[in-house]
Amino acid sequence: MRFASWWIGRVASAAGTLLGVSVLIFAAVRFMPGGYAQIVLGPFATPGERAALAARYGLEDPLVVQYGRWIASVGRGDFGTSLLSKEPVAAELVQRLPVTAELAVLAAVAAVLVGVPLGVLTAVRSRDGGGAAAGRLASGLGVSVPEFVLGSLLVFVFSRYALGLTVGGYVPFAADPGANLRAMALPATVLAVAATTAVARTTRDAVMNVLTEQYVTAAVARGEPPWFIVRHHVLRNAAVPVVIVLTVITASLLGGALIVEYLFDLPGVGSYIVQAVGRRDYAVVQAGVLLAATVFILMNVIADFVVGVVDPRLGAAARNGGV
Amino acid sequence: MGTRTWSPRRRTGAGGAGRRRIDLLSRAALACLVALAAVAALGQAAGLGGDPAEIVGGRLLPPGPEWWLGTDSLGRSMVPRVIEGVGTTLLLSSSAVLVTAALSTLLGIVAGYRGGAVNEAVLRLVDVLYAFPSIVLAVLVAAVIGPGRTAALASIVLVTVPLMTRVVRAAAASVARRDYVTAAVISGARTPRILLRHILVNVSGTVAVQGTYALSVGILVEGGLSFLGLGVQPPESSLGVLIQQGGVYMVAAPWLLLGPGVVLVAAMLSINVFGDGLRDRLEPRESRSLT
Repeated sequence: MRFASWWIGRVASAAGTLLGVSVLIFAAVRFMPGGYAQIVLGPFATPGERAALAARYGLEDPLVVQYGRWIASVGRGDFGTSLLSKEPVAAELVQRLPVTAELAVLAAVAAVLVGVPLGVLTAVRSRDGGGAAAGRLASGLGVSVPEFVLGSLLVFVFSRYALGLTVGGYVPFAADPGANLRAMALPATVLAVAATTAVARTTRDAVMNVLTEQYVTAAVARGEPPWFIVRHHVLRNAAVPVVIVLTVITASLLGGALIVEYLFDLPGVGSYIVQAVGRRDYAVVQAGVLLAATVFILMNVIADFVVGVVDPRLGAAARNGGV
Repeated sequence: MGTRTWSPRRRTGAGGAGRRRIDLLSRAALACLVALAAVAALGQAAGLGGDPAEIVGGRLLPPGPEWWLGTDSLGRSMVPRVIEGVGTTLLLSSSAVLVTAALSTLLGIVAGYRGGAVNEAVLRLVDVLYAFPSIVLAVLVAAVIGPGRTAALASIVLVTVPLMTRVVRAAAASVARRDYVTAAVISGARTPRILLRHILVNVSGTVAVQGTYALSVGILVEGGLSFLGLGVQPPESSLGVLIQQGGVYMVAAPWLLLGPGVVLVAAMLSINVFGDGLRDRLEPRESRSLT
């Protein structure tokens, strides 16, 4: 069963990465300047208070034991309690996750719907001098306008002139779908611009690579019309890099969500993390960062699986020890 | 000196006579970037536009003949503040990218050439860092070492090292399989010499392209982090700080946002267009039409 063993290897490697990520986060918070006790109690705590805290959280135990205890509780779904609100972090995350997920899905769908056709078009027309330069400038502009600039600009335009979309004022989808979408349209657009550019650029590179294959030359020689060639010979063969770039987009969406939720005042995971850093609430930072990295690693495993399905050759090569 | 080396230097690497130069658009982008850097460096040195900290007039004045970019919420002229901001942003990002380039090149060529356990270790390390979305990693760094310039610098390095190491390692691994490397090994060259004279020389083009992209990622990370209030701290200014402050007074004084925003986008666009041109020049791809 080569297939099964390859998959076990892939999942094990993802688990290894996750282990590394969790160790890094744990170490970062534990070895923070000032130490854990000072963060929780502030600089003016008495030695007695420090000792009590150390006893309660087991801060005197060996680090491996502390790490094991943390991971075990995370495994049970217990992300600790917020140092400020004293509420469980997990409950807050569960409440906030749908907001971030909706934002990411809206942006990703828009990115694929716009980015893939754009990438195919610019690849097929890459010989057209003026058009190619314009395409390069547009794609350059897409990666060059950061979320915080575009977002600030949209907030300005839409809060100054009433244009039908709301800035801030989040409403859950279940409560009022129309109001929810009006509030989500702008932040999702901001996230989608960068993601669309990434999809378009990758699609363009992938299609240009496929276009130099001999079977495309043969199709051109047979007199097949351009869009027939694209549909029948190019798209599926160019699909692998596009699937892979979707994982990269996930990363940029998760990171971008921090900025966009902060800017548009959405009650998602991103704004939770940003607020927590400002208030030095490390339990929340630790949990939020771990969640983001975990989602990203999972997306990578899923992408590998999809690639194996889309392109059986790659799957076979990987299973035979190549790639 | 070059006569005894076996590596076909002419294949990659920038510069040299008789070769196709990068296209006009990329050269224009490079000129724009150099001009920005020059204005930032010379402007700060010459005190162009006055002292950025000095309160010169009324608050939130629109751009006019006296204050080209208007004045901010404290009545400081925006021209010297934007110049200082560009300077800080470019200096922070480019010094971080230099650190990244050194680290990634070392890790990448050693891992790509040696393979085996060293390669595995580098790949695992890179995978772990790569698993953090860039702004999330930057926020974690700022949370741990405290907001400020150092946090911005360290974040840029940590975000760009995995991106660059991956590509440089792959390039080095493919160079390591070439015949001229085998020939060098057979002729008794020691590892450091092979790494420097054969591998490094032939991945230098890749390092240049990736370094350009890393610079734009660096500006993005610095800007994002400062925008969240976790990077460069006021009263120091960087483009991210200025855009964040501009956002606060956006409705009353949109020029506070537009000035630094346009400059940031211009810098990013120049870097990215130049990077694309450099890549097309150093790693040319075929193109064809379908008719």
